[in-house]
Amino acid sequence: MTFLVIGIDAATWKIIKPNINELKNFRRLMKIGRYKTLILNEKPISASAWCSIFSGKTPEEHKHKAFVENGNLKTRDDIKVDFIWDILHKQNYDVRALNIPFVIPPYNFNCKFKPVGYGLPETPDEWQEELEKVTSKAIEILEEKPDLLCVVYSLLDRIQHFHWNEPIVLEWYKRIDSVIGKLILYADKFIIISDHGFCDRDDAEVQTLPEKTPRGEIKGDHDKEAILITNIDYDIEKLQDVFYAIMEEMKNGQGNYGNGI
Amino acid sequence: MEEKEKKFTSVSIPVPLFEKIKKRINGTGFTSVSDYVTFVLREILAEEEEDEGEEPFTKEDEEKVKERLRALGYLD
Ligand SMILES: [Zn+2]
Repeated sequence: MTFLVIGIDAATWKIIKPNINELKNFRRLMKIGRYKTLILNEKPISASAWCSIFSGKTPEEHKHKAFVENGNLKTRDDIKVDFIWDILHKQNYDVRALNIPFVIPPYNFNCKFKPVGYGLPETPDEWQEELEKVTSKAIEILEEKPDLLCVVYSLLDRIQHFHWNEPIVLEWYKRIDSVIGKLILYADKFIIISDHGFCDRDDAEVQTLPEKTPRGEIKGDHDKEAILITNIDYDIEKLQDVFYAIMEEMKNGQGNYGNGI
Repeated sequence: MEEKEKKFTSVSIPVPLFEKIKKRINGTGFTSVSDYVTFVLREILAEEEEDEGEEPFTKEDEEKVKERLRALGYLD
């Protein structure tokens, strides 16, 4: 049994639902599983949100707010929590984490991976490179049948900041849809989740980025409506619940997962 | 999604080592020698992966990251 968590930074129903007929894997998985909008209680900031998802802790508890603090890059060791992979690894599960962007460069656990553009892909070439490299590494891991793989794609966040409301955004959702189709073949149980949604920059509750950057004008920003698609029963109401859902599933699945030697 | 069963196979270890491990795990959370051996081997592999994966993050890398964060407006 493999439990697969696919994180898609900044994925939003605003693009998926109106275009569902062009996103066949999203459509299929929504049909065989359940889907909902997760409304964030916290500020929709990637560093903090991914940390909540994989630690089960609220921002007040994990105290990790941003990629940079006092001009310094934050690292894994600066964050005083155990993540789902730390805990399950100690319990003898085979757990991997790939390209998890709660820090820059993104974090990996039990796998060797060099994030594309330090986890901040900037150009169409780098977006494509991230898509391909993360996918092929994920497949390499899944072939080894781990108990749990958590993998995150960060490219949609970058694309939407600069191209929100442009047709190019849907093109990249289609590419994401296609790689989800490949990964999901290896999964028995899955959670597909975003860390926040997206909206016009002017409507955003927080402006994570200034309007003008050296890379161009910022057109969209984060909102509080994340996506969730899953085929497990656990009732996920907030980001932190993903952690508990995985723990519960591993516990119930004992014997099916690697721990049950 | 088809069911992909987890499969197990046997490896040979010297009997005295087996006995030694058996004694060692007495009273611990490990319920079998296989359980313990799997745990230890995974630990070693994970450590090796970590060492290999740890291409040193240089000052130069850090500057490049900050440059990207600046370009995105995350950093003044
Ligand atoms: Zn994000």
